[in-house]
Amino acid sequence: MGDSQYSFSLTTFSPSGKLVQIEYALMAVGSGQTSLGIKAANGVVIATEKKLPSILVDEASVQKIQPLTTNIGVVYSGMGPDFRVLVRKSRKQAQQYFRLYKEQIPVTQLVRETAAVMQEFTQSGGVRPFGVSLLVAGFDDDGPQLYQVDPSGSYFSWKASAMGKNVSNAKTFLEKRYTDDMELDDAVHTAILTLKEGFEGQISGKNIEIGIIGTDRNFRVLTPAEIDDYLAEVE
Amino acid sequence: MVVVKRFVLQVHRKSDMSKAVVDLPPKGGFSFDLCRRNEMLISKGVHPPSFRKTGTTIVGLVFKDGVILGADTRATEGPIVCDKNCEKIHYIAPNIYCCGAGTAADTEAVTDMVSSQLQLHRYHTGRESRVITALTLLKSHLFSYQGYVSAALVLGGVDITGPHLHTIYPHGSTDTLPFATMGSGSLAAMAVFESKFREGLTREEGIELVCEAICSGIFNDLGSGSNVDVCVITKGHKEYLRNHQMPNPRTYVSSKGYTFPKGLTEVLTTKITPLKEKVEVIEGNDAMEE
Repeated sequence: MGDSQYSFSLTTFSPSGKLVQIEYALMAVGSGQTSLGIKAANGVVIATEKKLPSILVDEASVQKIQPLTTNIGVVYSGMGPDFRVLVRKSRKQAQQYFRLYKEQIPVTQLVRETAAVMQEFTQSGGVRPFGVSLLVAGFDDDGPQLYQVDPSGSYFSWKASAMGKNVSNAKTFLEKRYTDDMELDDAVHTAILTLKEGFEGQISGKNIEIGIIGTDRNFRVLTPAEIDDYLAEVE
Repeated sequence: MVVVKRFVLQVHRKSDMSKAVVDLPPKGGFSFDLCRRNEMLISKGVHPPSFRKTGTTIVGLVFKDGVILGADTRATEGPIVCDKNCEKIHYIAPNIYCCGAGTAADTEAVTDMVSSQLQLHRYHTGRESRVITALTLLKSHLFSYQGYVSAALVLGGVDITGPHLHTIYPHGSTDTLPFATMGSGSLAAMAVFESKFREGLTREEGIELVCEAICSGIFNDLGSGSNVDVCVITKGHKEYLRNHQMPNPRTYVSSKGYTFPKGLTEVLTTKITPLKEKVEVIEGNDAMEE
């Protein structure tokens, strides 16, 4: 990949044994807009801030939460264009899996394959690591699942997690509020409250995005009207 | 999966094929070398093994609210019926279905592939798939294989631009029609359509006409038989009526079963060969280590 003059890897070890490029990639993630995910007993919710650079931007054209398959969705913190590339690759991998096994790809498998792609970009010539961390939410035969995938290619399964700007406050808030027997609706409320914590300005259905998946195994992004309804319940 | 035109015995080891310049690296795309070899072998009298074709009568028509597709359910391998109830109406998209005639493996593989491509396309665009998209993907693929992918398809669906019905031939040409038939039973079915089709049929009339056309194929064509499958696609809704009509029920099943008394089969010769013991069993005191 790349010109033969640049066939060396740009991600190299430092004397202390760290991969500095990955650290920097994590910093890029850390300065991105806050996103979070919560696994409920009967579903998963993922949410993110949608702060647009100007009021002139058509907010309906921006969609940060994307479906990967009918029962798996993903949100990110970090660089939007990198996210788009990963979404495209993951969707294709899910289709290839279905073509090969005639089975919908399990969440763990898709996470593993996406993580493998991200790892590839830390060890190939002429490329840089992805500047995004992903939160993958899915519901399959193993129940509701929430995974975080980092630029290094490592992935973790979480009950609740946050990424981006306000991560430490958000995680503390989630630790306090999380219960194992939460229902999906409660999880949505908790997600909204967590976002509200670090939100600058007035929160509304137009500047946050929420994606949910329940026992119907159908991932969908909530419309701004639905988000406003949830916000009204939370007030 | 049965592969088209692949030979079991290779009579001539590759002496005559590689007269052309061989030093060029493969450029990609379909390599027609084996097709030349196959043709050469046929001219020498070596016949390929028979593969599973779908004989088939497949039809489609456009009615008032959308399209109706119909197919028989017999799959043949030469003169033998190898599947009495196969599914010939393939899923392409929630609003698009495709009937397939020709080599069963080819129709299934090509429809699965296009279905997968359309799913990816739906994710990327966020829109419902269009019938002409499926049509273009199918015909480009078939054309690039120059007719060697033996799939003759009737593609129908309803999208944002309205109801559409197309036929696709193995070499990649297409037709857009209000009513269409394909397969070995296509003439029998077309005769029914030509005399009874009119614009603006209702759902019930459409299904009845499709069933009549398929039945015409089932009863008058050897390559088609068994049951009638129907698929009705309208705006925002589809109905897959598997085995909508079963005009060939099995009537000869005996509920008592069959008894064969001893002595019914004549014994011609009897030969008894005692088996020699070749294994020596030693009473061991050492158990085998795990």
